[in-house]
Amino acid sequence: MSEASMNKFDEGMYDDRVDTETGISSAEALVLMGRSFRLLNTVRGLFFTKLFLALLAISPVLLVPWFGKIIVDQVLLQKSFGETEVLFPPFMDPFISLFSTMSPMEIMGAIVITYVVLIGLFGVRGGGTAVALTFNQGQDNATQSEAALSAGSSSAGGLFGLTEMLVTVRLTQSIANQLRTRLFDKLTRLPMITLDDHRIGDSVYRVMYDTPMVPDICYKLTLVPLATILVAAINVYLIKYSYGVVAPEIVWIALFMVPLALVVTLPMSAFARRLNQKSRASGAATTNAMEESIDNISAVQSLGGMDQESAQFKDKSAESYKRFLNAWMFQMFILALGGTLTIGMGIYIAIYISDAIIVGDMSPGDFAVMLGIFSSISGSALLLGSLWIGLQTNIAAVRRVFFFIDYETEDVNREKVPDQGVRESVSLENLGFQYTDGRWALRDINLDLKVGELVAVVGPTGAGKTTLAYMLPGFLKPTEGCVRVDGTDIATMNTDWLRDQVSYVFQEHMLFSDSVRDNLLLANPVASEAEMIDALMTAGAWEFVETLPQGLDTVLGKAGDSLSVGQQQRLCIARGLVRETKILILDEPTAALDPKTEIALVSSLRKAAKGRLVVVIAHRLSTIRQASKIVFLEDGRLMESGSHDELMAKDGGKYRQFVELQSNSDYG
Amino acid sequence: MATNLALVEDETDVNTTSDVNISFREVVALLARSWPYYRPQLKHLLALLAMSIVSGGGILVTTAVGMDILNNAVLVGEPITDLQADLFFVDETYVLEESAEADTERQLLSDEQRHTLRNHFFAWSAVLGACSLAIYAGGYWYMVWIFARINQALRVVMVERAEHLSLRYHSESRTGDAMYRIYQDSATITNVFRNLVISPLRGVVWLLGAFLFLLAFSPTLALISVVTAVPVCALFYYSTPHIRRWARQARETNSNRTSWIQEVFTGIKVIKSNRAEGIVFDRFVADSQQALDAAFYLRFSIAVLKVGVTVCFMMALLLMEYLMADWTITEKATFLGGTVAFVGFAVWNLGAFQTAVAQASQMNGMARELAEFWGIGQDLVVGLKRAFFLLDLEPEVTEVEHPEAFPIPIASVTWKDVNFAYTPDKPPVLQGVNLQAESGTITAIVGSTGTGKSTLMSLLLRLYDPDSGEISLNGTPVSQMKISELRGNVAIALQKNVLFAKTIAENIAYAVDATRAQIEAAAKVACAHDFILEMPDGYDTELGERGGKLSAGQRQRLSIARAILRDTPVLILDEPTASLDAQTEHQVLQNLQAWGRERVVFLITHRLSTIRNADQIAFMKDGTVSELGPHDALMKLDAGHYKGFVETELYGIKDEVEASS
Repeated sequence: MSEASMNKFDEGMYDDRVDTETGISSAEALVLMGRSFRLLNTVRGLFFTKLFLALLAISPVLLVPWFGKIIVDQVLLQKSFGETEVLFPPFMDPFISLFSTMSPMEIMGAIVITYVVLIGLFGVRGGGTAVALTFNQGQDNATQSEAALSAGSSSAGGLFGLTEMLVTVRLTQSIANQLRTRLFDKLTRLPMITLDDHRIGDSVYRVMYDTPMVPDICYKLTLVPLATILVAAINVYLIKYSYGVVAPEIVWIALFMVPLALVVTLPMSAFARRLNQKSRASGAATTNAMEESIDNISAVQSLGGMDQESAQFKDKSAESYKRFLNAWMFQMFILALGGTLTIGMGIYIAIYISDAIIVGDMSPGDFAVMLGIFSSISGSALLLGSLWIGLQTNIAAVRRVFFFIDYETEDVNREKVPDQGVRESVSLENLGFQYTDGRWALRDINLDLKVGELVAVVGPTGAGKTTLAYMLPGFLKPTEGCVRVDGTDIATMNTDWLRDQVSYVFQEHMLFSDSVRDNLLLANPVASEAEMIDALMTAGAWEFVETLPQGLDTVLGKAGDSLSVGQQQRLCIARGLVRETKILILDEPTAALDPKTEIALVSSLRKAAKGRLVVVIAHRLSTIRQASKIVFLEDGRLMESGSHDELMAKDGGKYRQFVELQSNSDYG
Repeated sequence: MATNLALVEDETDVNTTSDVNISFREVVALLARSWPYYRPQLKHLLALLAMSIVSGGGILVTTAVGMDILNNAVLVGEPITDLQADLFFVDETYVLEESAEADTERQLLSDEQRHTLRNHFFAWSAVLGACSLAIYAGGYWYMVWIFARINQALRVVMVERAEHLSLRYHSESRTGDAMYRIYQDSATITNVFRNLVISPLRGVVWLLGAFLFLLAFSPTLALISVVTAVPVCALFYYSTPHIRRWARQARETNSNRTSWIQEVFTGIKVIKSNRAEGIVFDRFVADSQQALDAAFYLRFSIAVLKVGVTVCFMMALLLMEYLMADWTITEKATFLGGTVAFVGFAVWNLGAFQTAVAQASQMNGMARELAEFWGIGQDLVVGLKRAFFLLDLEPEVTEVEHPEAFPIPIASVTWKDVNFAYTPDKPPVLQGVNLQAESGTITAIVGSTGTGKSTLMSLLLRLYDPDSGEISLNGTPVSQMKISELRGNVAIALQKNVLFAKTIAENIAYAVDATRAQIEAAAKVACAHDFILEMPDGYDTELGERGGKLSAGQRQRLSIARAILRDTPVLILDEPTASLDAQTEHQVLQNLQAWGRERVVFLITHRLSTIRNADQIAFMKDGTVSELGPHDALMKLDAGHYKGFVETELYGIKDEVEASS
């Protein structure tokens, strides 16, 4: 089995249809780390503040053991300074010179006062005064992400620790949120055809639960190694200073842990990434299952699918826990491996020291000191050595984020912004559209649509009517030929500009659980109340909006479900109208409307068509007949076009057959 | 502004647990409700406890034994005891000989013996170290495994509840909110016992112990700790509501954000077409900021509590240390030192000082831990309350204890004096509906939009229950039947054609077992077979999100096929042909007519062509069936509503045709 096919793990096992190549090589992992690191650029101020605070936080703690020593020796046992050979480190000099003239209780008083200040400011005192909150909750990636999103701690306490912790929380949030907003923005700008395949729950998962993994990468690349090295260096220095020559072997052997840990874990990194990818993909699948069944609850309940949906969720959720536990087991394995290394090296060093003691080169009292030095330095070394393997967990999440950040959006090569709106016409030239699976949806379409026309697109279901309409605002890109607006190929034009020219009312009625007003403002943020009411009246929606408890400000239920489908449709039409664009496309606008509303709507559309291009996809004769131009499609080809009368005049014409059939069944 | 405020309140009624004043009793109740999810894992929890006790005890004993061997025997060279010799597999030459006890000079171990003993000691250390590591890592994994099972159990129950909740709840609440409750809020269950029961209990016991210890040394020290407890308790008291408020805010804002992302990607087409990406993005950024701020202030308030408690106790500790230093220097007698033997310290000396300091520090550490666990525990309680909120919602549509069987063969479906409003504050949708449909007939439900046609059918499926009146089959009320049986015998093709991101075959056979032949037969009746075969993988073609890749007409036909496949005695088609062209529509209806013998079929439609073929027409106006009968009979009614409706369709068009010609 090749590496590539190995990496393309369990394709189809989870729900990813867009993001299927999930393998990450070590080189790619490095690139991802680099990109995560660059996120720090925009939060430099906060970052350097944090860096400064973190390094500063180390210093006050250094005083504590020496004060402890003074309390015992000089205060309680009332010895004078200089009785023992142990040297105080230089930073203690000012205190020593101050204390040396004092009586024991005066020294105690001075130390207490110093502590009062230090505790208020730094919280110093052994035994973990650090300001760290463990918000960890839940046993899968999704539930741990909230804690990761706002993670922050300080190794100090007191006011300083509080400040540092809060700075860190903000820093963590800023890094993650920066990536999160970028991802969200990018996802909304994916091509429609990609979004058709992409699961909604997966988008939620990536935005909400994958992005919080990025700050940790930044820290592991910067703060963690810096602080670790600094602490180790200070330890070595202090011990050397106070106890004279430390056996240098101990330091070297301890430092040997860095490459050792790296070498041991390196071959496992690809495996670690894969485990974590699976854990996240299965989490996303759980989200999909939940999202789909709850969002479509009316269908689920009316089809009696509740038990099936519950069972499906149960499976997916169990699978995601299983995958998480696998990844967790690996983490525990790494933990045990680190422990084994420490024990092994510890025993080696203990043998080394005890040999020296038995021989008589060292005294028994040196054993604990030397082992203590060793374990503190080797702890730091192990931390450094295991950074790489620890990063793999985060890399798995970040890849899922950057995958969509890198995904090609609709806006590539589209700089051209005309200085005015559509003036004359939209024309389709030799236009064809082929699905990725090889089927043709449209072929050889040549069509000229003029501003001022009301065009009806007619044809049997599956003829390609909606696909044709999707070409105009660039929801789909033709695979052959092109669409020209006033003579310019829209493939070269700015998508935002183009969409500003077109209002599209979809067949499916999609409303947001906001107020009626917000739903309309989405289409036209500057619409006045009068304009809104006008659009609602045209769409035949005002009569019921008016009776809603809070009128325009009534909040609609989930996806507008508190309204009847016909009402939803009318609101969607009003939303299309309130934009007042040059081109208005309505896809089956009247399907759910009763004849009275339909007639009122169509006649107002005719009025609206003056100075605009209105394209209506319709089956209903009553609607079609009012069009100034009828375009008849069948099997993706343009069969006929012209006015109703022109087309009816053709003997055996497709449109004429179509009309006759409908009239027959309607009135025959 | 006023209206906005009212709306927010409205929303809180449905979606949020509005008060932050969670009483002690409520907390206890929440814990009690969590217990059933722990209960099945009890044996694992006990095993885990046993594991940690054994490993903890083992480590304690071995360090005690090991330290003696290492320090005294290996490093200094003193002989060992019999037991130690047995433990470390060495012979009696290592053992202290009782007869020669006085002659310590001769008793030292040789270098060779010290080496051997050392090697044995490290061999033991390696073995025990490896074991305790394995137990530690394994135990940690085991704990997560247990917690995952507890959480999974709760999640599944929550999803089941959400699936069965009435549509009245669902249509008013946001999908993301339910998702957040099921995912994030439910996850609090695994930590809530630790934070709110075990930790406070242990904390209080330790604090009390440390307090008694200090009291034994000096009443002054005890008094200082009591005095310190006053500001500490005040801190707990005043910060708790703050913490809860921010915790609730954090959870609500996060739930909103989840909802917003979910809604945006559900309605992405609308957003793109309206070029509203910018607006949507701004809203996302604002929502995010709110959520981040709430998380920030939540942490802020807990950290303040923790730091405050630490500082209070630290200051007390310093004061104690100062006093104790003085007493040690003057060798003052301790409070109970003379009388209680176990304390052992009769006067203040270095040992007493350090013991007392250790106890005071212990107290301090416990208080800090308590502050953190307590603070985070508040967040957990708020989360747990939100999770159980979903479970507390009783499905309005409930089953009777001894349901009656669904009557087969079906003879009639009857609505009798049915009244219904979605919410009490909204105008009623149905008012005194009476309708009866017989087996083997097609009933067309006609009327303008919003008159309650779809609602009427929802009541038959018991998606809602009527406020009054009754719906019955062969005289048996639907409320007396098992819901799954009822829905299994009534098939519906919804107006909104909901498809799932599964294969075409799976979509048609949704929630039923069916062979491929049955699926194909149903697809043929719905005129869907041909276009399905043209798809790349035929019936096994995977549909996109929400059936994204199909046209509306295709989706509609799959939806009809789904209803047909269920082969039920009652069939409801809600606007079945709205997106179909005349020819396809005609064919589908013809197929249906042939298929619909011996069944009760309801059609909701606006199309005359469909309506005219029905056996009876129920014309709905203002939430009631105003006219009922076959087409011809209704057309004979003077000034009849149905007649008006048909004439609008006919003459309205005539007018327009005349106008355009």
